Amino acid sequence: MIVLKRSWRKYSIDNLEQVMKVKIKSWTGVATWRWVANDDSCGICRMPFDGCCSDCRLPGDDCPLVWGQCSHCFHIHCIMKWLQSQQLHQQCPMCRQEWKFKE
Amino acid sequence: MAAVRTADSRQQWEIIKKNFCIDGDFSQINDSGEDLQLVVRLVQQLGAGQLVLDLALDAIWLALRQSVVPKFWQHFVTFEAQTNGKEDDAGEGSVEVMSRVATAVSELYDSAGSFVPQINRCEMLCEQSGAKFEDCIPGGLMEHFKLHLRATLHSQMPSSFMHLLHKFYSAAFKVFYQAEVGSQVEESEEVTDEPVPCGGCGGATDACHCQAITNTFCQVNKQLYGLDLLERLAGDIISSLLLSVITDHVSTTCRDSYDQSCINQLEKWVENVVVGWLELVYCGSRGQLSSADAAIQTMVSNNLNQTYMTALYHTYTTTRIDQLFNIVIEYPESQPALEDIRECLDRTHLRDRLVESLRSAIQTRLLHPGVNTTDVLHAYISAIKALRVLDPKGVLLELVSEPVRQYLRGREDTVRYIVTSLTDESCSELSEELLVAAPLVLDDSHSDDDNMDNWETWTPDPVHAHNLKSKSQRTADIISMLVNIYGSKDVFITEYRTILADRILSQFSYDTEREIRYLEHLKVRFGETLALLHKCEVMVKDVADSKRINTSINSDENPHREKQKFPVSAMILSAQFWPSFKEERLQVPEEVTKELENYTEAFQDLKGNRTLNWKPHLGQVQLEIELKNRTLNLTVTPTQATIIYHFQERNRWSIDDLSTMTQVPKTVLRRKITYWQTQGVLQEVESDVFVLVEGEETGEEGQTAAAGLPLADIAPPAIEEDEAESVMASAQDQREEELQVLWSYIVGMLTNLDCLPLERIHAMLKMFVQGSVECSPQELRAFLDRKVRQHQLLLTNGLYKLPKN
Repeated sequence: MIVLKRSWRKYSIDNLEQVMKVKIKSWTGVATWRWVANDDSCGICRMPFDGCCSDCRLPGDDCPLVWGQCSHCFHIHCIMKWLQSQQLHQQCPMCRQEWKFKE
Repeated sequence: MAAVRTADSRQQWEIIKKNFCIDGDFSQINDSGEDLQLVVRLVQQLGAGQLVLDLALDAIWLALRQSVVPKFWQHFVTFEAQTNGKEDDAGEGSVEVMSRVATAVSELYDSAGSFVPQINRCEMLCEQSGAKFEDCIPGGLMEHFKLHLRATLHSQMPSSFMHLLHKFYSAAFKVFYQAEVGSQVEESEEVTDEPVPCGGCGGATDACHCQAITNTFCQVNKQLYGLDLLERLAGDIISSLLLSVITDHVSTTCRDSYDQSCINQLEKWVENVVVGWLELVYCGSRGQLSSADAAIQTMVSNNLNQTYMTALYHTYTTTRIDQLFNIVIEYPESQPALEDIRECLDRTHLRDRLVESLRSAIQTRLLHPGVNTTDVLHAYISAIKALRVLDPKGVLLELVSEPVRQYLRGREDTVRYIVTSLTDESCSELSEELLVAAPLVLDDSHSDDDNMDNWETWTPDPVHAHNLKSKSQRTADIISMLVNIYGSKDVFITEYRTILADRILSQFSYDTEREIRYLEHLKVRFGETLALLHKCEVMVKDVADSKRINTSINSDENPHREKQKFPVSAMILSAQFWPSFKEERLQVPEEVTKELENYTEAFQDLKGNRTLNWKPHLGQVQLEIELKNRTLNLTVTPTQATIIYHFQERNRWSIDDLSTMTQVPKTVLRRKITYWQTQGVLQEVESDVFVLVEGEETGEEGQTAAAGLPLADIAPPAIEEDEAESVMASAQDQREEELQVLWSYIVGMLTNLDCLPLERIHAMLKMFVQGSVECSPQELRAFLDRKVRQHQLLLTNGLYKLPKN
């Protein structure tokens, strides 16, 4: 009797295999954003790129990065300050090449 | 001639002797035939005034000593002998005592009265002959006589007398008290048919002898007062009876009710009873005080104010002090009681005792492991509020609450509770407090220069306020007091940040209005400039930004949207500003990975040069699970969703396989699976193997699963704890991470200097890493020991060293 019952259950399980359907109605994930840059922190203010420059309070859109043609990047506020302090040639503080914003 | 003179003088002496009772026989004093004036003149002629007076007085004193007083005392000695043994027979005893005392006293009164003519004679003699008695005492000879009587009485007093007199007065007092107070009580009592014993004399109502007692009592008092003995013999008893009845009354009145002010009522009561009793004793009946001697009047009012009112305040305060812990806990219901105490504290000297007693009550009832932290905190808050009522200067509070603060500092979850209740609307006590827009007053802010504008209202601190903290700190508000438990704002804001992160990542509500409101309050309280609060601000802004990004990515213009199988949204965080997360791994199903990648791409399009790092184990998933005969709509975590997702392909998974598949560690997996067990979807058929439970074949497992109810008997109900689990790294992990900063310094040090003892490392770190990371030597040792265990460091002879590789 018991054997019978067991085999019946096994049968029924096999049979039902395809019955359950999991439908994802919505998925809310958690992610952290980061800048796609070849370094972690700004060469001028030494703060992380994902944070903000020392004058800003909010990261991201409010304190964006800019790239030069030399492929170095800085917080925009940092490099602007740097460039304003340069009287003659506007150079990248890292590689001393002439600073040009990457288009 | 000489013989005649001798005979003559002998006769004269006899006359004098008789008239002044020098031989001590006072019985015939009234029927001596000679004219007193003649006798006095005779004495004067003989120039023996002083001698006669001395002899006469000596005779009186002797009579007092040898007959009057012993006779008086004899009454009590014999009575004591008779009643010895049947001590507590109150009813009968008191009557007997009453009559015995009455007889004795009236006898004494009579016999003392019989001396009065004699005294008068002596006084006259004094006046006319200029003889003097010991006149160091003010008052006439009568006063002198009374003094002697008192002295003699006291010198021979038997030990049992006070006891008897006490009985006498208590019986009388009981009658009085019953008449005075009992009448109010009786009305409320139920009327019963049984013979109620009279409250006053204890006899049956119909055989009540209250009136008799009162009458005897008044007579005795009058006689004693006449002899100037009342105050001397019974004064103590009279007042001690009053005091004890005050104590009793106060303690019954104050028992367990703190919500009514009763000090005024008690004052009235005391005045009533005291005046009534003293009137009865000194004037013979009620309402006679105004017509009595001025001396009695002043005595009564002095006694009333000095002795009995003081006693009342003292007793009241002591009683309340014993209940103070409960009173404090029951604040604000106990406000009236506290106001009473405050009033009484000014009139008594019990502050020290109050502090002492409350401290010990707190110690025994509050500060032990059996009490929840929330309860301790509530008690602390109540204490702050309640003791402020008692003492607005906060000195008492400071003295009492120091142990509580110390204790709370030792509990790990204190900060969490404080911060949670600060920002929890259901716990109104603290969140309302937060709305009070006042900056924190902390220990380290030295603003206690007394305001010179109000110098006229300045009052010095109470004397026991020595060695306490600054005034401003003592009067700080509740939140300041709570923050001061730790003395630093950072601990609180760090905790708040963790709680905020947890709340955001468990609710996914995107509704930041409430958080912004709290943040503003906190900013007012803790100061705008605090770096940690700034981080919290960014966190809240992240939520708002995420909402915007989600809307824009999921809008119709988005090209990816067409192919989307299900909507994906995200909480996009600025990692630098959030507390560190618990790192857990999770391989989400292919389908999901693809959608997340799509989302990332959309994000990159939206915000050039930025990309996303997913934390796959965090999030919220809405599922619709179709089983054979039921459909479940659930909101679960990604891990839980992934687990059930895999059961679509196979209905039987072992933990090992599932762990390889999802990359979730087995222990975590096991914990997460319990959720599905409680939902009745999965079942553990053998150890570590789970199968899907479809609705149909539950014939023998019961109908509960089919009905969509959780299968309580199958599943271990351990899920709730899991739900409440924090997604943030624990404080300890965060600390570990902070210490990790030091590691590079330590490696540098050891590379240069080969090997160093702990103290040197600590000293050098202090020099190099000023400010950024504080670390005690003990903590550093624990940290280095962990490194040793991980084989990143060697420890030999107390010197740390890098392993050679």
